[in-house]
Amino acid sequence: MSPSFRDGMQEGFHSFLPLSVGLIPWALVTGLTMAGVGFTPLQAMGMNVIVFAGTAQLGTLPLIAAGTPVWLIVITAFVLNLRFIIFSAAIARGFRGVPLGARWLSGHLLTDGAFAACLEKMLSHPDPHWRLGYYLGPSLWSWLLWQVFAFCGVMAASSIPRGWSLEFMATIALIVLLVPMARVRPMLVAALAGGGLAVALRGMPLRLGVIVAIVGGIAAGFAAERWCGRDRP
Amino acid sequence: MSEDWMLWGLFILLGLVTTLPRASFIVLGERAALPETLHRALRYAPAAALAAIVAPDIFVSGGELTVFSPRLAAAVAAVLAALLSRNPWLPFIAGMGVLWGIGQLIPT
Repeated sequence: MSPSFRDGMQEGFHSFLPLSVGLIPWALVTGLTMAGVGFTPLQAMGMNVIVFAGTAQLGTLPLIAAGTPVWLIVITAFVLNLRFIIFSAAIARGFRGVPLGARWLSGHLLTDGAFAACLEKMLSHPDPHWRLGYYLGPSLWSWLLWQVFAFCGVMAASSIPRGWSLEFMATIALIVLLVPMARVRPMLVAALAGGGLAVALRGMPLRLGVIVAIVGGIAAGFAAERWCGRDRP
Repeated sequence: MSEDWMLWGLFILLGLVTTLPRASFIVLGERAALPETLHRALRYAPAAALAAIVAPDIFVSGGELTVFSPRLAAAVAAVLAALLSRNPWLPFIAGMGVLWGIGQLIPT
């Protein structure tokens, strides 16, 4: 471990620490919801470690609970993760000079929070060791918080009565993610079209309506951006 | 999804469709770039997907369209809490509070 790696890690950790508190409610809610759809603690923590993505976990739990076909659940998770392709492309230049193994680890640990917190320094600092440390500090800390507080949520769920519809916490969590996105006009159009189509097409076999609705929502958002050009996200 | 091994298989698939997009350009590095049009269209994917998952949970019960339900009231409370406050707990407290409150008033 080179000294500049350690310096970067310390600086990244200190700048990210206050922001990271925001992860705690998400991890708790994800833990509660996983237990709410009937996962054992082992299954819940297995999902939490293997998938390690709040949105993809919370977004697929209602589908898993409803008995949706596996391929449809996987496609939905992929669509929810498409934003990471954009993040990955935006931050990629920060990993020049970093070995391949560390790049895979960094990719696996890429979260919305780490991306937002690290992007600027990742693109501007000249030393690759320092940059990797600056990225891995916050990312590993996020990973630890995510696992610990999801576990607390899973354990807390068993003391909450069954009739309290804990699985609805996933719906609320997705609403909380959606609200700030929908402040931008074309994004609101994409959400309204996606939601409206999903309700209208609920009768389609194999819950295919969800996929058609997502594609329709993306198209509607893109079209709205063209029409009202100035109001871009 | 009662079979345990099916659930673990699903977790692995979900892990793949999460790590591969995340690692894509970080691993490929300078050798690849995303076309501008695709880049712009992809930004709408999360909003469209989140709404497509949430809307049937709120407006459909037992396969039927239900315009007014305890879930809709709870969702409205959560949206208001998210709009009006920066407290990360409040949408959950408001939404679950309304859902449970209505459940107490109208026993099903």
